[in-house]
Amino acid sequence: FAGLADVSISEEIPVEGQITVPVGSHSPDEDGSTLDEPVRETIMRDLKAVGKKFVHVLYPRKSSTLLRDWDLWGPLVLCVSLALMLQGGSADSKDDGGPQFAEVFVIIWFGAVVITLNSKLLGGTISFFQSLCVLGYCVLPLTVGMLVCRLVLLAGSGTISFIIRLLVVLAMFAWSTLASTAFLADSQPPNRKALVVYPIFLFYFVISWMILTFTPQ
Amino acid sequence: PSLLTGSLPQALVDDTEDVSLDFGSEEELALRKARIRHPLATFFHLFFRVSAIITYLFCDWFSNSFVACFVTILLLLSFDFWSVKNVTGRLLVGLRWWNQIDEDGKSHWVFEAKRVPTVAASTEAEARIFWLGLIICPVIWTVFFFSTLFSLKLKWLALVIAGISLQTANLYGYIHCKLGGQKSISRLTSRLFVTDIPKRQTRRISEDPIEEHGKTSTR
Repeated sequence: FAGLADVSISEEIPVEGQITVPVGSHSPDEDGSTLDEPVRETIMRDLKAVGKKFVHVLYPRKSSTLLRDWDLWGPLVLCVSLALMLQGGSADSKDDGGPQFAEVFVIIWFGAVVITLNSKLLGGTISFFQSLCVLGYCVLPLTVGMLVCRLVLLAGSGTISFIIRLLVVLAMFAWSTLASTAFLADSQPPNRKALVVYPIFLFYFVISWMILTFTPQ
Repeated sequence: PSLLTGSLPQALVDDTEDVSLDFGSEEELALRKARIRHPLATFFHLFFRVSAIITYLFCDWFSNSFVACFVTILLLLSFDFWSVKNVTGRLLVGLRWWNQIDEDGKSHWVFEAKRVPTVAASTEAEARIFWLGLIICPVIWTVFFFSTLFSLKLKWLALVIAGISLQTANLYGYIHCKLGGQKSISRLTSRLFVTDIPKRQTRRISEDPIEEHGKTSTR
């Protein structure tokens, strides 16, 4: 044990210090302050995040913002507005030309969940809510297309208006599908990409079909 | 002179006693005594949940339109989810939970609990209101689920399922925060205990040779 004498801590050096345990290993820098920040800041932060994602969908680039900070507010707003427009504003009547409100809702959310499960079962690395977020936000072009269709239908419902609507819906459908595959395709293994893109194609096709065949009473 | 020095410390003691009791301003004292320190947060915590339930129960009185009721209840449920998750949780009980995705693309659920109590920390009454509101409402929505299912009013089913999932998500998140906080407190104490021992051991190692040296030197 004599050799250990060199290793020992002499009495003159005070052995003291602080033991601090970090709260969470993945906590962001502003950890203490997000617990104490004023409510307005929280609201503005979330609103800005939602707005940024809308812009990202309109100009799809390969960026990870949509994937990193997912939220489901955008999809909720888009789903509700699309369902309202498809409903045609008439309350609960069986005669209107559009599908029932709840049907559109269920189709969108159930469809998105099924696609997400499909991509996860095929071995995708994306998480459940991220995928729902992307699919929901990429409904934006189709919602815009629905708005345009309703405006065109206000002008008239002849052949010309049908051709205009067809072209608009086709363009929006292509935009939605391309935007969502741009975000989702990276997370899939390369030989499975077609298997993942096809359900997304089908999903937006069904929504586009609902938009194109909408006729108000 | 001795009388002066004798009396002055007494006066000083009296002054310091008066000063030391005055921690802060009147507002802080009132805040500390109040049973509910965040009245707005408490109100909104209950407002959205209860309004959603009331609107669901009495939607026929408010309007004939299914769509309007559906959208209103859905918006109330969403606002409730957001406000409980982001605002009332941290104000009333000092807990917060969220999902983070790191650079690898892996998602982590983070549960956070406030350690240091501040002046505006929550009271027992607030915490009780928070937990009661959090637990009772999902139960009520589950009752609605069964009543909707068995009375075959299936068009409301989507809404009830949305309500159950949103409210249960908050309940689960906060229970996880609460339990996680207790787990990490026990981890903290065990870590303190473990790091304490090596220090003592090194002390002992250092002490013995010195004593021996001392013994040998005296000899």
